[in-house]
Amino acid sequence: MNYLSDSLLAAVALILSFDREVQLAVWTSLYTACVAIVIAAVFGIPFGLWLGLRRFPGCRILITLLNTLMALPTVVIGLVLFGLFSRQGPLGELGLLFTPLAMIAGQTVLAIPIVANYVLACVNGADHRVIDTARTLGATHLQASVQLIREIRFGVMAALIAGFGRVIGEVGVAMMLGGNIRGSTRTMTTAIALETSKGEFVFGLSLGLILLCVALIVNLFLNILQQR
Amino acid sequence: MEPVASLKQILFYRSKFCLSVEYLELFPRRVYALTGSNGAGKSTLLRIMALLINPQRGSICFPGSTTKDLDQLRKKVTYVEQSPYLFQGTVSDNLAYGLRLRGIAREERARRIHLTLSIVGLDGFEQRKAKELSSGETQKVALARALVLKPDLLLLDEPTANIDGNSQPAFEGLLARLPKYGVTVVFSTHDRLQVQRVGAEFLCIENGTLQGQLTAACLQI
Repeated sequence: MNYLSDSLLAAVALILSFDREVQLAVWTSLYTACVAIVIAAVFGIPFGLWLGLRRFPGCRILITLLNTLMALPTVVIGLVLFGLFSRQGPLGELGLLFTPLAMIAGQTVLAIPIVANYVLACVNGADHRVIDTARTLGATHLQASVQLIREIRFGVMAALIAGFGRVIGEVGVAMMLGGNIRGSTRTMTTAIALETSKGEFVFGLSLGLILLCVALIVNLFLNILQQR
Repeated sequence: MEPVASLKQILFYRSKFCLSVEYLELFPRRVYALTGSNGAGKSTLLRIMALLINPQRGSICFPGSTTKDLDQLRKKVTYVEQSPYLFQGTVSDNLAYGLRLRGIAREERARRIHLTLSIVGLDGFEQRKAKELSSGETQKVALARALVLKPDLLLLDEPTANIDGNSQPAFEGLLARLPKYGVTVVFSTHDRLQVQRVGAEFLCIENGTLQGQLTAACLQI
């Protein structure tokens, strides 16, 4: 018991000392996750909107596929992109493997189905009169779609927060595509996994506490938005 | 006199329902009442006129306009559903929506919103939350939101369905006055006496077929 409580106290002390290694891991996690979510929003929101508003042959299959992608293990995404980015892969010449860009690419692939699915659910749950009302007031299809997004904005924000929560807590993509390089691709999750295995339990615990705080803040936001 | 809109040989069908309109002309500054039993096709005809659904055959012309762009034509027609939807935000936000799309300046928007709300009897409602209004007030705001755009053609689907008996005469009076603001109105109703009270011309639709145009006086209700 002493081991745990002592480690916890040491971890808090490490956080409060603004340890550079901890700060770097937190920064890398936050910025890769933020960039990935912004890119996922650019693709996921219109895709979810399109899927919710259009009815076409194969629509159900596409939705089922999207649901399946939500449950895709992160290591599988990491594996596929590793194949693409490795030297022998089709994108090997870009030299992206083990860079933050590769991690962002993987996290974007992970987040797009989550964002699209949440937006799709919001569109399905939205009042079907929004689009027609906007159209009768002179809106084009695009303007009416923007109005629909305004009407479901809390749901869309919840989609982005849910995607962010998934991305910042994942380890498979960051490990396989980032490689846990100190000061470059070391995220909170990869650092926890590897430093703990090296016996640096306090270091891992301090990052775990920060990750827990981030998850708590994200879920608090999500709860507030879902209540609105 | 040049009509505001004319419909020629319209044919629309969906599963077992079929709507046909051989010929219909709507003239400026008049009120038309679309009557018919449930499922006769009143709402469908209004939605076709609002350019929300495309008929399989036939054409709708707006003789005054030179464009064939549907998005541009849709700016001349506004349609208010039986249970209208108000956007989130204030009453003023709702009325401003269509004006913004038309590029109307802020001062002019505020002036028109104020004027239109007073026309529909909702003075001082600008900052009220749209989602907190009663169904009657919602109906009036939806009417104001359409009216503020000064459309050539205003289509109302059973506009008095959500209005209580006490407010109905005032609403009918408003419908009768709308041509003074340069608007042509088509509204659907089941109440033939209401048509007479508003002084509208009858457009009777039965089993998906539009019958001839008659005035209330002709019918001698």
